[in-house]
Amino acid sequence: MLLSVGCGGRPETADDSIRGEVKVAGSTTVLPIAQEAAVEFMEANKRTEVEVQGGGSSAGITQLKEEVIDIANSSRELQPGENDGTIVDHKIAFDIIAIIVNPDLKITNLSRKQVKAIFTGKMTNWKEFGGPDREIVVVIRDQASGTREVFDKIALGSTSDKPVWCVPSAIESASNGVIREIVGATPTAIGYVSYGYVNKTIRAVELDGVSPTIENAAEGRYTMARFLHMFTQGEAEGPTRSYIDLVLSDEFQEEVVGQEYIEVKKVKRQ
Amino acid sequence: MRARGGEAVTGACFKGHAFADRENRVKVVMLACASVAILAILLIFLFIFRESLPSIRELGVKNLFFSTDWRPNVADPKAGHYGMLTFIWGTLLTTFGAMLISTPLGIGAAVFIDQVAPDSMARVVRRGIELLAGIPSVVIGWFGLILLVPAIARVTGTSGYGVAAASLVLVVMALPTITTLSAETLKSLPAELKEASVAMGATRWQTIYKVLLPSAREGLLIAVILGMGRAIGETMAVQMVIGNARAFAVSPFARTSTLTTRIVTDTGEASGIFRSALFAQALVLLLIAMVLIILIRVISRKREAA
Repeated sequence: MLLSVGCGGRPETADDSIRGEVKVAGSTTVLPIAQEAAVEFMEANKRTEVEVQGGGSSAGITQLKEEVIDIANSSRELQPGENDGTIVDHKIAFDIIAIIVNPDLKITNLSRKQVKAIFTGKMTNWKEFGGPDREIVVVIRDQASGTREVFDKIALGSTSDKPVWCVPSAIESASNGVIREIVGATPTAIGYVSYGYVNKTIRAVELDGVSPTIENAAEGRYTMARFLHMFTQGEAEGPTRSYIDLVLSDEFQEEVVGQEYIEVKKVKRQ
Repeated sequence: MRARGGEAVTGACFKGHAFADRENRVKVVMLACASVAILAILLIFLFIFRESLPSIRELGVKNLFFSTDWRPNVADPKAGHYGMLTFIWGTLLTTFGAMLISTPLGIGAAVFIDQVAPDSMARVVRRGIELLAGIPSVVIGWFGLILLVPAIARVTGTSGYGVAAASLVLVVMALPTITTLSAETLKSLPAELKEASVAMGATRWQTIYKVLLPSAREGLLIAVILGMGRAIGETMAVQMVIGNARAFAVSPFARTSTLTTRIVTDTGEASGIFRSALFAQALVLLLIAMVLIILIRVISRKREAA
């Protein structure tokens, strides 16, 4: 860190008035946004240092409460046990969870029931869906993942009282990128990723006939969607405040967030 | 430095004294070094034991160590289930599979280096195997992921991830240890053994497997155990190919986890009793390592006695 030694007047330009360090960690879904924002922020404010890490939503929230970091990125809401009333929620984007399969599989649409049957291990062979006579390889996220939590809740009907578990043979992966990698490389695999990770190496399937698109989610037709958050301990101040303001600015929302997610202000539902 | 200065000034009659003084100081430094190492081991053991105590107390030995029910709960750790038998089994199974292949391969390579190959070729093979030991495990895991897993998937019709892939990756990790230590053992055998055997009219093959290998038995066993230690502790490479599942493995192509991969997968977000249960898994790993070390002590003592 560069610290100015001069004892003259305080710098007047906006460039210099914001200084200090912002530590950000948590959800790997939010990671690309947070990194892009960090680059822009440090460019605009030369005397700041933003450090962004992944680790998963839960890990981020834990670190925030231990005051190791300033901002916890999260792809899920706070749980009752986690909120002691001091954590402030900043909704920064709206995201879609897409169910993805290997492109070799001739499957384009699954019903909610089928999704639940596949992920909980009640149906284990693709031939039950008109596919090849091969084992269904389920790929899921790790325990820390907010994406997993939202998926379990919406797709499997899991609740904190009655958790629904994915099939034991499911491959647990540490990030969206790894899931995409495994599903893309395994001809019989199915998994789920954040919409921003959908590309040509995998195929996003329709859920009950509705494809996971920004329009469908923003208007509430595709329901496997959630807000992405940045949590702070108390109201954000100093460089942390400025960093979050940048993320929420119209320009950043449009140019960066809008590329892969839905801008927060476009979403009607709460 | 001071000792040497004193030596120059005071002359020959104090030379012995200064020398002893310096030796004592060296001894103290060495003792300090050794104490730090022992202290570190002791602290690690105590720390891991202390951290795993809450889960042992809360869940009981049976539910923690002898249950296959692994359903952790991140938000409310007390509501989860933390049986680790699946992962102990995963560790033992992958290690056993790896040893099944790397033991004959390693000892065979050692025999080749020490007994069969001409000097120049033995040197090349030995260097190659030593080089293998220097490859970072993540690189080996990467190769496993892009070459081994698809190959196994093609042959077996499974996903390719699983125990077999993990074992094969571990073979690469354990092989250098087994080969170099076995070669050392064979080299240290008295030359008379071989000479006597050959003089009796035994062929080279007969000499190797009826005289040399039996005489080197304890040393070879130690080599295998040390290789096993390497395999049991390996994390990164295994995690990339084992399929990271929580299912109890019943087939070599089933996806599961080992103790190390489970710890590394879940440490990030674990708190409370969940975290403690992961420490209990570390404790089991530590105990397995200790058993192996004790085994080595017992075997080498037997060898010295023989």
